[in-house]
Amino acid sequence: MLLLCASYFFYACWDWRFLFLLIFSTLLDYVTGLKMAGSDSSEHRKMWFWLSIIINLGFLCVFKYYNFFASSFAQFSANIGLQVSPWTLKVILPVGISFYTFHGLSYVIDVYKNRIQAEQNFVDYSLFVSFFPLLVAGPIERATHLLPQVKAKRAFDYYKAVDGLRQILWGLFKKMVIADQCAGYANMIFANSSVYTGSTLVLGALFFSFQIYCDFSGYSDIALGVARLFGIELLRNFAFPYFSRDVAEFWRRWHISLSTWFRDYLYVPLGGSKVGTWMKIRNTFIIFLISGFWHGANWTFIVWGFLNALFIMPSIILKTNRNNLEIVAKGKRLPTFTELGHIVLTFSMVVFAWIFFRANSVAQALSYISKIFSTSLFSGFNLDVSRSQLFETILLIILFLIVEWLGRENPYAISTLSKLQKRRYRMAFYYLLVFLIFLFTGKEQQFIYFQF
Amino acid sequence: MKQFLKNTLLFILTSLTLLCGIVAIPACLINNFSNFKINRRYKIVLFGHSHPECAFNDSLIIGLKNLSHSAEPYFYTFQKVKKVITQNPQIETVLIEYSNNQIDEKMNDWTWDYKYMSNMFPLYSSFMDASEINVLFKHDRGVFFNCISIAARQNLFKAITFDYNFADRMGGYLKLNRSQILNRGDSLTHEVVKNRFFNPRLSYINLIYLRKIIDYCKQRKKKLFLVRSPQYKYYEYRHNEKVYLDVKNRYFNDVKLIDFNNFPLNDDEFADPGHLNLKGASRFSNYFNKQIEAGILVFGTKSIMKHAGAINASAGVLK
Repeated sequence: MLLLCASYFFYACWDWRFLFLLIFSTLLDYVTGLKMAGSDSSEHRKMWFWLSIIINLGFLCVFKYYNFFASSFAQFSANIGLQVSPWTLKVILPVGISFYTFHGLSYVIDVYKNRIQAEQNFVDYSLFVSFFPLLVAGPIERATHLLPQVKAKRAFDYYKAVDGLRQILWGLFKKMVIADQCAGYANMIFANSSVYTGSTLVLGALFFSFQIYCDFSGYSDIALGVARLFGIELLRNFAFPYFSRDVAEFWRRWHISLSTWFRDYLYVPLGGSKVGTWMKIRNTFIIFLISGFWHGANWTFIVWGFLNALFIMPSIILKTNRNNLEIVAKGKRLPTFTELGHIVLTFSMVVFAWIFFRANSVAQALSYISKIFSTSLFSGFNLDVSRSQLFETILLIILFLIVEWLGRENPYAISTLSKLQKRRYRMAFYYLLVFLIFLFTGKEQQFIYFQF
Repeated sequence: MKQFLKNTLLFILTSLTLLCGIVAIPACLINNFSNFKINRRYKIVLFGHSHPECAFNDSLIIGLKNLSHSAEPYFYTFQKVKKVITQNPQIETVLIEYSNNQIDEKMNDWTWDYKYMSNMFPLYSSFMDASEINVLFKHDRGVFFNCISIAARQNLFKAITFDYNFADRMGGYLKLNRSQILNRGDSLTHEVVKNRFFNPRLSYINLIYLRKIIDYCKQRKKKLFLVRSPQYKYYEYRHNEKVYLDVKNRYFNDVKLIDFNNFPLNDDEFADPGHLNLKGASRFSNYFNKQIEAGILVFGTKSIMKHAGAINASAGVLK
């Protein structure tokens, strides 16, 4: 109950009015679960199931996508010579709506498919939906994973709590140092992309790639660490995605809770990988386009999803998409040259796709890319910033990558630090992180995934 | 649980202590060892923002050192003035730019907006007293902590490398080669923006710190003048002229203003409406040098009045 109150208070600190929406959504799915569980008629179950799905997705559509559909319709009408002035909503997007809606949907689908029992305790169910560390930016939890932990009696575990703090510290470093430093440069370059040389634009895309990774995985680390302090283990959301050797592996390592959500609740019901090649291709495109659209109501996200589907196609067609299940160079210090080549190629494709994710419009992304592939790619950087500051940021990214590489076989990069024999080395590293967070903290930026 | 809380608290307290040390020790070292010394031949110093920075080519003005710095509000100028005056006893005369935009509320942003503060605060934070730090802290804590972090980083680097020299960092003449691009509609645009200046909001923080600078210089018996650099006829802030003069007369009437607002310059001698380019700065600086030789800065009302008559009626008017 205390955790639930804390979670609601946390959400109300952003905007208390939208707390009612969260409570309504929670109540709807809770009642739906009970009604489905208490009904013997499949028609009745189906009715409640679709009612919940339609209302949940309806809220998501109204708040997140209505204006996009309305303006796209107006644009389309204008293209065929009809002038339409659509009525648009002047309402802010409730923070975390995509995340808590997906929590609720997974629960309703699981109850409908008899994978789990409907939850009888409203407080427990509400906490599953609204647990504050994951409320605004995930990870997207499953009832099968989180609800038993919520219901179980938890005892304080010193080592788990220390591990939680360690992960929080690492998350703060990723967010406040790497992500926020990179954000300054990425924002500057994307905002004035027309004045920069191709090489500077490449730098901008690289900065954004590290910004979004450290921003989102940093948040996830903080969320997982905070939850661990309360004795709750959340789903892992990132597993060193930039060391992936192909795009399929990247998607097994990036935003894992969302990827697996789409896999379990959309890809598998569509036939998954047990269908013919053409159906698999179709299913993959559906998943990635919807995943892109989930991120935001803009054509840029849809193109980003489409590109990722395109990049994953060779491995789907050649059936090599499950070739790289283990982390690269497991048990070894360095990768082979072939592995390194694959990592660089995969990373380049991912960075290319991020340009669409970050751009304000598809037109801006296309002009950004066309400038990259021009002769100005070979001219120097024309970024009007202090060279030493730029150098500092690049150095920090390199140091960060080294630590990530060394810790790539663990749940998070510095989780094995506890195994260091000498306490003073361990403490020195923690104090170093604190110093770096303090000294190199960039200008405060909101978490990118809060907008989704 | 008890052990966990104890260890966590200990870690937090140790971290805070170390961080305080990292902020305070380099700041103290810099405050004590900073070098603001300028060549002893300079008896006149000029402080201000980018207008005087681009207008006064001090290589053409005998005895004058231009210490103006772009986007520097009086809050940070005050820190610089304290150090420069203390470390350079040969200085006899202090000139402070007082131009139309320096009364405007835009100067608030220059004082505590992240964009400007992140440049100025790290440079001068070591010389601020607690009340000045508090002004910035109270305004926006997020920005303040961001800037503290930048300042700590820069100060630490200076302390480690024993780099206490501020003489090259505190400003100087800035050469601009470009000429302003004029449009036929400039006069019209100038009229259009007039509405914005009907009731201009003042930057009290800037005016308070101008007063502090004046008082500081007066206490140390320095000759003090406010100066207004040449501004183009369509410079937007000229619209606040009435308020500008009113503020001058109300709050700073104990200091003479050497006014070059209407100094006759050609259009191509401006880099933009607020700044002179190399050509304009050369002509203006030569002129100013002659005025100094003629005694414009000689203290005493009689002397000023005597020389005022010799100065072009539209340039260098003493108010």
